Amino acid sequence: MREIITELYKKLAGFFQTPEKENLKEVACNRLKLVLMQDRTNLTPQLLERMRGEMIDLLSKYVEMDKEALELNFAQEGDSMALMLSIPVVRAKDEEEIQALIKEEEERKAKAEAEKAQEEEEETKENKDEDSEEEPKEEISEEEEKDSEEEVEEGCACLIEGPCECQANENPEKEEQAWVAPKKNKKHKPQ
Amino acid sequence: MSGRVIVITSGKGGVGKTTTSANIGTALAKAGQKVVLIDTDIGLRNLDLLLGLENRIVYTIVDVVEERCKLKQALVKDKKNPNLCLLAAAQTRDKSAVNQEQLKAICDELKEDNDFILVDCPAGIEQGFQNAVAGATEAIVVTTPEMSAVRDADRIIGLLEAKEEIESYRLLLNRVRPNLIKSNDMMSVEDVVDILSCSLIGIIPEDTGVITSTNKGEPIVNDEKSLAGQAYSNVAKRVMGEEVDFLNLEEPKGWAAKVKKFFAGLFGKE
Repeated sequence: MREIITELYKKLAGFFQTPEKENLKEVACNRLKLVLMQDRTNLTPQLLERMRGEMIDLLSKYVEMDKEALELNFAQEGDSMALMLSIPVVRAKDEEEIQALIKEEEERKAKAEAEKAQEEEEETKENKDEDSEEEPKEEISEEEEKDSEEEVEEGCACLIEGPCECQANENPEKEEQAWVAPKKNKKHKPQ
Repeated sequence: MSGRVIVITSGKGGVGKTTTSANIGTALAKAGQKVVLIDTDIGLRNLDLLLGLENRIVYTIVDVVEERCKLKQALVKDKKNPNLCLLAAAQTRDKSAVNQEQLKAICDELKEDNDFILVDCPAGIEQGFQNAVAGATEAIVVTTPEMSAVRDADRIIGLLEAKEEIESYRLLLNRVRPNLIKSNDMMSVEDVVDILSCSLIGIIPEDTGVITSTNKGEPIVNDEKSLAGQAYSNVAKRVMGEEVDFLNLEEPKGWAAKVKKFFAGLFGKE
């Protein structure tokens, strides 16, 4: 008897109030949009994250921004696709700061080029000096490896102090967090 | 006469391509159009079953291609409607038994004395799909409001866009469940249209009648009372260029309906 009454009560309660539950439709739409964006552009989450990292590097030269909140999304309007980037600006940089950073970068580039040129010279020298084949070749390949490693580091070396974002993003969990939960309606505008 | 060749495709299997082909074909024929249905799902033929013609097939599309019979001999007339014919697929061969040129030639020949040629495409994006699309100039992309089906439809739309011969394609949303959409448990028609950015040709509600009509070998458009049947006959009208409003699939609103539903639930009649 009691069971019947509780059952009836539950039915009645359910009748008068709709229980709050997850909006599964939204979940499906968002997941689908993300996966279709990847399908259509041939950009994997890894590549997107890389792109994001590179953009942060580039843009932080000119403005100080909230790196965590930078959003990179694809939006579709009719037949055309647009890349939407929304950047929360924390503070505008002084002209001096910007100039200093640019100068620093240019110096670094010049230095790297000079080093490269030097190394190339050395390589050609070594090639000319020694006609014996095996040993010098190994050395060169080692050097080349070093070069390429350096280049990779340069590719993601942020101009900002502190931990490099690009390396931090190698953690797949973090990537997912960044990409699965983009807040839809929270658009940041430059102040 | 130069008929229109429409391919019915989806990418994903099981979303209702064959059911759609059978129903649109039947509805067009009922409206007085001369229609040929081509089943290109060689090795997994089913269109004959849905039309109830499985016992009448003598020659198949492979026999036509391999010149064991003439094209006209292979066309099986529908039981009820003499305007409707079926060119069945072979069950004992595979997709490589026919190539794109051969299918295009068949479509071109059929165009001459029919209004519509509907090509039922197999699932997938491989040779079977390429064959089915070869002779067509229009496409109907069938999908359901499920993520996997929508994703595959997006892929198919991409492939169709790359084909110069396809002049237009439209979306048919099948197995729509208004109750689930209302409770936000399923993507709505608008969501799917928005995501795929493709114009709609029809919305078909989920209907148990589709299963029972398949058992009988009679397309559901013949049942004028069923909602799915009405929806399919509206699709056929839109194919012919008429402007027809989409059916209202929502359940009756208001407190009376709610009370009714409540009692139905109470007595386990749901």
